[in-house]
Order: sequence, then structure tokens, then C-alpha cells
Amino acid sequence: MARTLRRLTPAQGALPILVLWVLPLAASMLMLLPAIAEPDAWRQLQSHPQLWSALVLSLATGGGASVLALLMSVLVLAGLDRSRALPQLQALAAAGLALPHLAFAIGFGFLIMPTGLIARLIEGGATPPPWVTVQDSWGLSLMLALALKELPFLLIAALAALARGDGTGHLTQERRVAASLGHGAGSVWLRVVLPQLLPSLRWPLVIVFVYGATVVDMALVLGPTQPPTLAVVIWHALNHADAAVNGMGLAMTLLLTSVLAALVATTLLLLQVTLPRLRHWLCAGPSLLAAPRGMAVVTGTMAGLLMLAAILLLALLSVTPRWPYPALMPPAVTFAAWTTLGSSAAPLWLSLLLAATTALAALGLALLWFETQPEGRDRWLIGLALATLALPQLAVAGGQYRLFLGLGLTGTLPGLFLAHLTPVAAYVLIILQGPYRAFDSRYMMVARSLSVPASTAWLRVKLSLLRAPVLTAAAIGFAVSMAQFVPAQLVAAGRYSTLPMEAVTLSAGGNRPLTAAFALCLAAPPLAAFLAASLLGRPRWR
Amino acid sequence: METTGMTFTLTRRGLIQLLAATPLAGRARAGEVWDGIVAEARGQTVYFNAWAGSPQINAYIAWVGEALQRRHDIRLEHVKLADTAEAVRRVRDEVTAGRAGSADLLWINGENFRVMKAEKLLFGPFAEDLPNFALVDIAGKPTTRIDFAEATAGLESPWGMAQLTFFADGAKLPTPPLSMPELLELARSAPGRITYPAPPDFHGTTFIKQALAETMADRALLPVQIDRQAFTEAAKPLFEFLDALHPELWRHGKQFPQTQAQMTQMLADGELLVGLTFNPNEPANLVATGTLPSSTIAWQNRGGTIGNTHFVAIPVNSTARQAAQVTANFLLSPEAQARKADLAIWGDPTVLDMAKLTPEDRALFTSAAAPGSVTQPAPAIPEPHGSWVPLIEAAWLERYGA
Amino acid sequence: MALSLEEVSIRLDGHTLIKPFTMRLEKGVIVTLMGPSGSGKSTLLSFIAGDLTAPFTATGDVTLDGRNLDGLPPEKRRIGRLFQDDLLFPHMSVAENLLFGMPRGEQQARHAAMTAALAEAGLAGFAERPPQTLSGGQRARVALLRSLLASPGAMLLDEPFNKLDADLRAGLRDFVFRHIAARDIPCLMVTHDRADVPPGGRLLLLGRGEVRDA
Repeated sequence: MARTLRRLTPAQGALPILVLWVLPLAASMLMLLPAIAEPDAWRQLQSHPQLWSALVLSLATGGGASVLALLMSVLVLAGLDRSRALPQLQALAAAGLALPHLAFAIGFGFLIMPTGLIARLIEGGATPPPWVTVQDSWGLSLMLALALKELPFLLIAALAALARGDGTGHLTQERRVAASLGHGAGSVWLRVVLPQLLPSLRWPLVIVFVYGATVVDMALVLGPTQPPTLAVVIWHALNHADAAVNGMGLAMTLLLTSVLAALVATTLLLLQVTLPRLRHWLCAGPSLLAAPRGMAVVTGTMAGLLMLAAILLLALLSVTPRWPYPALMPPAVTFAAWTTLGSSAAPLWLSLLLAATTALAALGLALLWFETQPEGRDRWLIGLALATLALPQLAVAGGQYRLFLGLGLTGTLPGLFLAHLTPVAAYVLIILQGPYRAFDSRYMMVARSLSVPASTAWLRVKLSLLRAPVLTAAAIGFAVSMAQFVPAQLVAAGRYSTLPMEAVTLSAGGNRPLTAAFALCLAAPPLAAFLAASLLGRPRWR
Repeated sequence: METTGMTFTLTRRGLIQLLAATPLAGRARAGEVWDGIVAEARGQTVYFNAWAGSPQINAYIAWVGEALQRRHDIRLEHVKLADTAEAVRRVRDEVTAGRAGSADLLWINGENFRVMKAEKLLFGPFAEDLPNFALVDIAGKPTTRIDFAEATAGLESPWGMAQLTFFADGAKLPTPPLSMPELLELARSAPGRITYPAPPDFHGTTFIKQALAETMADRALLPVQIDRQAFTEAAKPLFEFLDALHPELWRHGKQFPQTQAQMTQMLADGELLVGLTFNPNEPANLVATGTLPSSTIAWQNRGGTIGNTHFVAIPVNSTARQAAQVTANFLLSPEAQARKADLAIWGDPTVLDMAKLTPEDRALFTSAAAPGSVTQPAPAIPEPHGSWVPLIEAAWLERYGA
Repeated sequence: MALSLEEVSIRLDGHTLIKPFTMRLEKGVIVTLMGPSGSGKSTLLSFIAGDLTAPFTATGDVTLDGRNLDGLPPEKRRIGRLFQDDLLFPHMSVAENLLFGMPRGEQQARHAAMTAALAEAGLAGFAERPPQTLSGGQRARVALLRSLLASPGAMLLDEPFNKLDADLRAGLRDFVFRHIAARDIPCLMVTHDRADVPPGGRLLLLGRGEVRDA
């Protein structure tokens, strides 16, 4: 492959990703632009009584969740720094990442709601307590659930960045030096590790924030209604049969996207101004601050237990048609939901096929790009990838659908493949860019100097050393593909059905056992992918 | 040649005779036309775009598919939807792009129908030419031809009946509230245990329409177009009622469940006392599947509740119009309607007129009362004119939305 | 001021890497330890510094100025370390690197000490530079200054000149020895290069698990 790669001109190397990913994506986004020139839509938007309060709520829940998730991940990492629990933490985080957002929301909701398990355990009266634990007006339960669900993502991003730092051995030794200079483990983490880690966490944090501010499924389960988050208002509007209401939804989407972009830009700028002012604190002198091990263990265990409880509760709910308060165990068990699910074998196979092919294709496109393009050009690609993730999916998917319709790609397998490739490639590019570009090219020069053919050197040295990030990127791509609903549903045009499509449509009636069974079923393939990636990607020596 | 001669020798009397015979001849001709449609339908595939949130309904549609395959050599593909508006937008986009249709039959009513009719996205009229349409109870169930105050104009074929129905656990609520004022009383005596879904959820809007119908001075205003000013006047008692009701509701009326399904779950879990649905047989169905206890009771408010009909329609760009019509006709057959009305299958009330059926066909409808079924049906109040809905939703949002 | 090792031995997976030995390093003295690769030289330094990691284990006492360091984490031992790499923190300027380990106190005094140290090392004007822009020799000098400004009670040097060009080595050796002598603290240096041994300095050899004078 490397020989072929080396023969390719940069233009040839860039062509596949431009044709298969950049072009469709850019065209889909352009399809949104006509909405800007729709005065009626903007008028309708302005007169929507929930607009501003819903927008504030969206920003607050998304922002609060990101900050909370960041604090938790910093606490856990600082506390468990260099402890033996770290590899297990990575496996746990992978499991948490594989769990679909909606699944966690349902399980978590059943834990904390007034008729939930906790209330049954500690209250247990004839009528449920008047707790305001889900759908609170401030969106706190939504925020907390989002933070918990995003914690694994941030942990994995941070662990990958740390592993990169440690891979060169420098970070480990820098910590030794810092300790010899009189700094306690906590201080070392805050002053030496964190400042070097934060830049790598910037984009993951932006993704978490944007995701949190635009999430619909979790908000429908845990979020308030008066007002709901703006994403829910948009979702209702875009789902409407009336084209005028759709137009307002599109205008709201553009508004939300612009506000998010402005907020992210302002925050990054503010940080650039304020962070240097914190520098004197970096060098204020040694501090014996210890690692917050106790708090880390508590936070990590709590998050882990909540995840586990959510999964176990889902399993229980999937076989429990009725479980009235205050019973501690369900009165009857039936496997009707799993029987229904059993008839969805074809969608499962299609989903697995799409996930495998898109993950591989995205990987191929990304590697082709990185091998043939100078690093400076990454900026555009990564910017586009971030925009894909940052724009509300419903909007991009709508543009993509209209584009594919014009090209006659709707209702076809190639169309379905491309629709899945869009988000998958975005994630793969973002995840792979850092580690791939950080690769010390001298290893390749050494290998070549040993008269090893280029292709062998590329496979045995470069790919081998980059095995962990490449496999992680592939697993995340696989998981992302397995979770696609909106773009898939639109482009499939009723000709094909994937597992998430089955899950969403069959759950539309609010049948809890069925929803729970599908949620578990959707979590299984990504979980397997993550486990495989972490097993195969394990460093040969520790 | 003989016919030509006849035409030439037409007398006045002959003309009258001919005119008198036209219905018969017409029917015969219609029969021929229909036979042609059935013949053309053979081998076609019908993509039936239908909401798929209920395993029972999906199983019923699968049964329909098997029957059509066997009898008419038609392949029925259930395109599962979470929201029918999805299909409406898809048809619109396809028609705009000049592409062949991906949908051949839609399960539809209300707003979705109004939009498609207005935008000329529907094939037809075809519905009233279906042979089985003659069996529809158009007199007793006027909503089979008027969908949310919009004339169906033969663009959609009735499939089943819906009527706002409340339900509860009879063990916890022995005497159900049979009117909005009684519901308010109940809410006062059991604060925090009553609620309704937040509009624009369809069921939430229907609850408000019901309250409107029960509180307004002149119900005759409902089926006609209304403007903002008249609405404000007519809805005054409605909002007085809601203002009184809300403080007694779940979360003091500051929050509402997002969907009817969520509300049903909250009822099943024991957080709420009363649930609501548009399918009068859903409570009985939920008892059968074990979601609700066998002590479940269902009722309709004394003076009647909002009722409507759901239909099937054929998109204008369908590529299997003939098979879609055969499917719509089969859905109207006594056999299919009786199976659909069976509580053990789906429990969706029929659109047919029992009096028009043969005794054998009538016998198919064995509606034994089951736990959770409505014991005292109330009359259906037709849906208000389409112009009411945006006004209701906007006013509600304005008052209680933020 | 002295660093004492008493009956110190290092084991790896059950077999003895360094047999128990005892030694005392007086202040102002640089002791050099040489031995083949894998003999456990660097591991001994890690043990003294307090960050020995599995699969190595050690027994014996380390005392600094009569204070037993047993069980103390590295940050409480006041033992400075210098590695092959300079390990200047890339996210801090030269000045910030130097201030990082300097005991807390009045800001102006700390800055004055830092500026004076830089000037004395011929690096005046480099304070605000990012470490990446310095030459290898400059960086090595900053790394030593950073260690010494933390006022350590002893220094451990782990092949500190290994990565430097030959022509820079002599100069840096001189710089390091001069500064350590000026601080009047004990110092243990591990190296491969006999030329690193300071003139007249004590040289220990580690071989077959035994530490002995050359």
C-alpha cells in the first residue's frame, strides 16, 4: 500500500475523500442556505414564545454538562493517575461509550424518577414521592445524565492523549522531575499534566458541548417541556408536515448553530486571553497537593455504578411490561419484546455491514489523506468534520437527503453507505489526526534505511506503532455508524431498514420493554468493537 | 353495430329508460374498471408507510401482507415510520424533484392529510370507487368523509375509528370523572396525580380541544373557520378552566409529559391516576399485553369526546397505484375490519356499517367486553376546523409555555 | 549535610540486582557510579528519589541529613534529579520552569533569584523564551538551574551529559560541578563515560551486584 501511496500525487490522494466525503457534505450544508432568505420563517421564529428561554436552556444544559463532565474526568484522571486501575478504567469507559444515549437516559431516568428504583428503596409509600428528579424546569437531570454519558468519551480522549505523551516517555519523566522539585502528585497533575492535556481535549470538549446543546432523544426523556430545550422545539418543527413550520425549524437550526459557533469561538478566545493570567499560578512554587484519590475513586465508582445500574435496569425493563410503584421486583416477566426484536434480523445484518464498511472506508480515506497531504491542509478537513458534528443532524441530514434525491441515490445501498460515511469519517478524521501527525517519521526512515520495502515498513512499523489510535478510531467509527438514525431514515426512503431505524420506529409507541430491548441490542455491537479494539490495540509491553 | 343502431333510434322513452339504467350500467362498468385495476395490481409491490410504534399493529399489517400476497399476488412492504409527517415530507420532496414515489400507501389523517391535499400530493379521488366503500357507515360516522373538518374528497379511504378515551386503574379510582369539571374536582382531591401531554403533542392538543368543546358557549362554532379575535372570545372559558386546573396538576402544571406514551407509562408505574388515548380499545389492549392491570377501566366523557377517523391515502407519485387501491379495498373488507377490531389483535374500531353487512360478515365482529374496554360509549364530537389548531397551540404556548 | 545509604539492596523479580551495601555521601562531594547496562544504576537512583516502580523492589535505609526518607513520596524528599533529557516543561517559559520548583515566598525575591541565576549562567534575556527555542546546551543548563533553585538537599544525576555533543560536554560538566559545589550538597552521578568523573572525585563501580570503589 505504501508503495502505491508514494506513487500517488497529493491530488490523487485527496480525490477520494473529496468526492466521497467533502463534496457531498459541503453540498448538503449549502442546501441549508436558502433557509436564510426565508423572511416568513424568521418572522415565525421571532414570534415563537419559547424561543429565547429554550435557547438559554439548551446552552445551559449543554454547557453545564460539558463543564461537569470535564471536572469529573479531570478529577478521575488526576486521582487515578498512574494507578493500576487505569487500564480497567479504559475498558469501563469504552463500555460506557458504547451505550446509546437514549438507553442511558431511560435506565438513568428509571433510577431517579419519583416511581424509580431509588424512590422505591428509600420511600416506598402507597403513592410515589413528589420528587422533581426528572423533567425539572432547570434541566438539571438532563445535564447530569449528559455529563455522566459524556464522561467516558472525555476519559477516552484524555487517556489517548496521555498515552501519546507517555509513549515518548517524556510525560512520565517530566512528572518525576516535577516530584523531585517538591510537587505533590496533585500539583504535578494540575501544573504539568493538565496544561499539556487540555489542548488535546479542546475539540472533544467542543463536541461534547455541541452534542449536549443539540441532543433530542435524551431531552425527550429527561428534559423539561415548559420550555423544552431548543433542540426539542426544532425537532417538533422539522418533523411537522407543514413546510412553513419546517422552514421555521430550519431557521431555528441556523440560529442555534450560529449561537453555538459564536459561543465556542468566544470561549476559546476568552481562554486565550485569561489562561496566560493563570500562568503565575503554574510557577507559584512547590505545593504538596496530593492526588485526589479518594474523590476520584468515589466519582469514578459512582459514574460506573450508574452506568451499570442503567444497563441492568434496561435488561430488567425489557422483560417487564408492568412494574407498578412501590414494588421492588416486577410482578411478572415476559420476553415479548425480545421476540419482536428477534424478527429484526435483516436490519441487524444491514447495520453491521454498513458499520463495518463505513468504518473501514473512513479509515482508508483518512490514511490516504494523511499519507499524501501536508499537515497544514488538515485544518480544512478537521474544520469541516467539526462542523458536521456541530451542526444539528436533522438539518444536515435534510440537506443531504435533498441532494441525494436529485442524484437518484435515495433508496439505494450506495446512498445509504454515503449517508453513514458522513459522520463516521468526521469522527475518524478528528480522532486520528492528532496521533497520526504526532508519529515520529524517523522510525520510517530507520526502517527504510534497513532496506525494508516501503509497504512492509508502513505496515510493520508505522501502522504497528499507531495500532491503538487506528483501532480506536475504527471502533468509534463503527459505533457511530451503528447509531445513525436520522440521515439513514431519510436516505433509505423506506427501501432499507437498519437496526436503529427499527429501534426508533418500533419504540415510537413508547413501549418500554421494546425500547429497552432495542437499546441493549444497539449497545452490543459497538461494545464488541471497543473491546476488540482495546484488546488488539494493547501495547505489547507495559 | 347493433348498439350504433340503437343510439340512432333513441326515442324520448328510450332515453329515460337508458338514464334509469345508468346506475346499473355504471356499476357494471365500475366493476369492469375495478377488475382491470385488480389485474394490473398483480405482481406490484406496495410500500405501505405506516406508523410502527405498536407490535400489535405491525403484526396486523404483516397479516394483511400475507393475505394480499395469497389472493392478489401483491407484495406489501411495511415501511415503518416513527412519525407520519416523515412520509409527507418525503413525498413532497420527491414530487418537487420530479422523482418516482417511494411510498404507495400512507396511513394518514388530520394535519398531514390537510397539507397533502392542499399541496396536491395525493392521487385520486379513488376512495369512494372502492367496492368495499359501499359498506362504510358514512351516515353514522360522518368523520369517514370529513377529516378534521376537511372533506376527504375521495383522496383517502377510511380505515379505522378513533375517539378520545380516558382510562385508569379502577382499584385506585372507582368512580371516574365523566366531564372536565369532574376532572378538576378529582385533581383538587388528588393534587399532582393528573396531567396531560404538552402540545404540540397530538394527544395534548386533543385534550385541550376536548376541554374547549366542554367549556365553550356555542359548540356550533367548532366546525367553521375561525379568526384570532373570535377565537379569543370563544376560548375564554377554556383558559379560565385551564387556569383553575393547572395548579392542581402534576408538577403544578409547570411541566407536562412529552408524549401520551410517556403518560401511559407514568400511569402504569403509579405516578398518575388518569391516562388518555385516541384508540378506545388501547386500554383493553394494554391489559392484554400486561402493561396495565386487569382492574383497568376506560371511559368517554358524558357529553361525548373528540372523535375522528384514520385513513389510507395514495401519494400522487406512487408507482403502484393499482395495488395500493386493491390494498385499501382489502383493508375495508369485513374480514380485515373484523380482525382489526378484535381486541386480541389490535382493537381498532371499524368504519363499516353493521347494517350493510351480510349476517355472516356481521358474525365476524365478535366484540366480547374485555377488561379495560369502554362500557358506555359516548357520541363522537367532530374535530374542530383546522384553523382552530394553530390558534389553540399558540395561545397555550403563550400562556403556559415558558 | 550528608546522604546515607545503609544496607541498600535492589531486587528484580526475586533475584538480587544489587547486593546490600552501605555508603555515605558527604556534602559538596560528587560521587560517580559506573557499571554495565542493566546493572541497576538508574534503579538505585529511582529508589533514592522515592519512585521505584514494579517489578523492582528494594530494602535498606536512605537518610538525608539524618532524616530517614523511608516511605516519603518523592516530593517530600528534597532530592533533585537530572536526566539525559532536559525535560523542561514545554508549556512553560524558561522563567516559569525555573520558578516551578523554587520554594514559595515573596514574588519579587523569587524573580530576582531566578533572573540572577539565568544571568550567572550566561542566559540573561532568555527568561520569557519557550524552552523549545533554546539550544541543547542551554536547555541542559536551565534544567540544572531548575533543580538547584528548588534548594534540594542532594542531587542525583542520571547520565546527564549523554545526549550532548562532545564539545559541549566539557563546558557543561564544569558548569554542573561548579554549581553543585557552590550549593555544598551531596551528589550521586551515574554515567557510562569515565571522562564524566570530576577531577579527584570518588568513583564507584557496580558489577555482579556489588558496589565497590574503583
